[in-house]
Amino acid sequence: MPADIALQRVTAEKSRHGAAGDFVFRHLTFLFALLVLLILGGVIVTLIDGAIPALRTFGVAFLFTDIWNPVTQKFGALAPMYGTLVTSAIAMVVGIPVAFGVAMFITEICPIWLKRPLATMIELLAAIPSIIYGIWGLFVFAPFVQQYIEPAIIDSLGQVPGIGALFAGPPLGIGVLTAGFILAIMVLPFISSIMRDVFETVPAMLKESAYGLGATRTEVVLRVVLPYTRIGVVGGIMLGLGRALGETMAVTFVIGNAHRISASILQPGTTISASLANEFTEAVGDLYLSSLVALGLILFVITFVVLAIAKLMLLRLQKRAGG
Amino acid sequence: MSPAAARHAMPMSRPNLPETEAQPAARQKVLIRNVDFYYGGFKALKTITLPLHDKRVTAFIGPSGCGKSTLLRVLNRIYELYPGQRATGEVLVDGENILSPGLDLNLLRARIGMVFQKPTPFPMSIYDNIAFGIRLYEKLPHHELDDRVESALRRAALWDEVRDKLRQSGLGLSGGQQQRLCIARAIAVQPEILLLDEPASALDPISTQRIEELIAELKADYCIAIVTHNMQQAARSSDYTAFMYLGELIEFDETERIFTHPKQKHTEDYITGRFG
Amino acid sequence: MDTYARRRIVNGLVMTLCVAATGFGLLWLVLVLWTLLWNGVAAVTPALFAQMTPPPGSAGGLLNAIFGSVVMTLIGTVIGTPTGILAGTFLAEYSRGSKFGEVVRFINDILLSAPSIIVGLFVYELMVVRMGHFSAWAGAVALAIIVIPVVVRTTEDMLNLVPNTLREAAAALGSPKWKVIVMVSYRAAIQGMVTGVMLAVARIAGETAPLLFTALNNQFWSTNLNAPMANLPVVIFQFAMSPYADWQVLAWGGALLITITVLFLNIGARALASWSTFKQ
Repeated sequence: MPADIALQRVTAEKSRHGAAGDFVFRHLTFLFALLVLLILGGVIVTLIDGAIPALRTFGVAFLFTDIWNPVTQKFGALAPMYGTLVTSAIAMVVGIPVAFGVAMFITEICPIWLKRPLATMIELLAAIPSIIYGIWGLFVFAPFVQQYIEPAIIDSLGQVPGIGALFAGPPLGIGVLTAGFILAIMVLPFISSIMRDVFETVPAMLKESAYGLGATRTEVVLRVVLPYTRIGVVGGIMLGLGRALGETMAVTFVIGNAHRISASILQPGTTISASLANEFTEAVGDLYLSSLVALGLILFVITFVVLAIAKLMLLRLQKRAGG
Repeated sequence: MSPAAARHAMPMSRPNLPETEAQPAARQKVLIRNVDFYYGGFKALKTITLPLHDKRVTAFIGPSGCGKSTLLRVLNRIYELYPGQRATGEVLVDGENILSPGLDLNLLRARIGMVFQKPTPFPMSIYDNIAFGIRLYEKLPHHELDDRVESALRRAALWDEVRDKLRQSGLGLSGGQQQRLCIARAIAVQPEILLLDEPASALDPISTQRIEELIAELKADYCIAIVTHNMQQAARSSDYTAFMYLGELIEFDETERIFTHPKQKHTEDYITGRFG
Repeated sequence: MDTYARRRIVNGLVMTLCVAATGFGLLWLVLVLWTLLWNGVAAVTPALFAQMTPPPGSAGGLLNAIFGSVVMTLIGTVIGTPTGILAGTFLAEYSRGSKFGEVVRFINDILLSAPSIIVGLFVYELMVVRMGHFSAWAGAVALAIIVIPVVVRTTEDMLNLVPNTLREAAAALGSPKWKVIVMVSYRAAIQGMVTGVMLAVARIAGETAPLLFTALNNQFWSTNLNAPMANLPVVIFQFAMSPYADWQVLAWGGALLITITVLFLNIGARALASWSTFKQ
């Protein structure tokens, strides 16, 4: 045991240093955690601050006007909002079933040695930057769609009375549908990955009891796995939606950047993020700039709400699983 | 107790306990007095009072959940790492109450060493593992540090096996070696008290025996408290035994007496295997 | 048709659809990577790495853009990583059950998936407007803001994996809490934390939107961090949307460079993660 007094003094001194170190470190980490909140706060404050001139000028009508005229200085968010929502809707309609199919394949059907490599490859879809999808979409996918896909759609679905207006020509390649489809490819790995994670949480015994009763794989997944994981699945879908809403570069390349609302999804349009990407650096005039920031604020609010709901649902699932 | 039960309770040989006459007179090092312990609202320890003697081994036995590990963790206040856990009462170490609120916990823990159930080598070299505790409180010149590390490893009966690989990671050792590393790490800081929480339960029988031999040697210099699930181990290696059940201290006595003439029926039932 | 036969047909159908869905996903991966390679390889010449971005109609390279991307990614990582690690440490080690910790974690996960163009907008107002001009610093800060939530998340997850017994063993030797964290917990979690940083870098290496109104672009070679700086994503944006063929070729080349970097970092991070679990 430390017998001499000198050693005891060093020991006590080192302990005081330890306590001082604890104080500093604890508060340092606290400050940086606070910074995360401050970043969010800063984003909200700057967006509101920048958007106020436009909101004050146009009022609530801003949300419902689809005029966008830098010359007459009249701006409305309706066209970009419409484009954002429709492209994301298309992304969900295409992406969710595919993501589900992929998740189901990887968790239930695929042989064990294939699982890791396959999962990694699907996740690489998420790793590819947005601008790569954009440039690919513009030069490869859109021309292909223009040549083969859209004429086929116009000739088939476009002739059906009623919904035909949704698929009216001319075939341009770029447009809302193309943008939505590329978004689907971009968000499907996110949705699929979360679905996979929640599917894996289903206790084996639960599935085995269903199989033991003679249920087919489809029935086990649809009637046992899916109901058990539905909160997490919805959470994953909301996360994918949040990402689709905010996607910028891929959409900017292929949506055509037309500030108008068309009935047909084969026509060009614009989204909030595409408008910002295209016009912000060239916007002249405070009202123009402020309108763009207002668009940003609207996008932020929408994605924040969607992502918050997604997170809450995933948290609930975590709590139930005892995580 | 019937002769049959006595035979059942006492192992056939006790090779590791030195002659009682050769030991110095037992001096009280720690006095645990009226200690209660709470996990949140749940009272896990009820009015525990018993002494721990210096240069002796005190074993804590009892069925799972009886509170023996909890009590051990009160002694170095390691429970303070977790909010919601608290202890009331007194624990006097050489007369000083270590449960008092203003006490420097880090200094306390430097005086009391603890070895856990599962070996916990740090992700660093064997040398750095042992030196970690020393470096916290002492500024030693290089060769002195080397000597301290070597001496700790010798006392833990590990030196010969690792002398050539001191710079290699501690994680590369076998389970039994890792646990001896943890023991060496604990004694390197020259504590006064050693707390061993089921130190051999995760090890194979041969490693277990080596650890038991080690404890018998270490006893000469430390006050040792050991929690064990293994009654034969308690009977073999300890001088005093405390039997606990559902958070209460049922009986405390010299080991020989507890295993041959337990005063409480409950103790006898446990020792003879009627429950547990 | 009896119900059992029908059930089997339905099952077979669904299974086929699942295989088809997986094939569908993989198809696009292969298509995108293949066309990228096909179109980008033509641009990969020594000139790509030696010359600056040219005006339309002339030959050139992407050197200034490559340099700018590397510099801003580096600075963004250097700013964002320690910030993220410290914040993640707070969440894992100091905020057990506290409301504040829960809120920070919640907000962090939202920032993780928030539109990166909003981050660009924020830094524009914060720095570009205040400074009066675009700059590489602003670009780096925007990238740092994207790095932070990623590193916070992985740091917290990795530190949570460190077993408590390890912390107790260090505390039982009398170690103050900060040393337990820095000398034991960090060491135990280091591989996972490095993986997290690699994934964060992979993410910002390809980000365009945050740089659009912070670093802007620069036709010429510049090492001035206080001025607009060329970078690969914005150059690709400008060149690809243009009608000039030689610009478009350079755009493909830049796209290929970015993709190779990103895939390399991603696969490298995964390899590191599985190698370390294999080692233990």
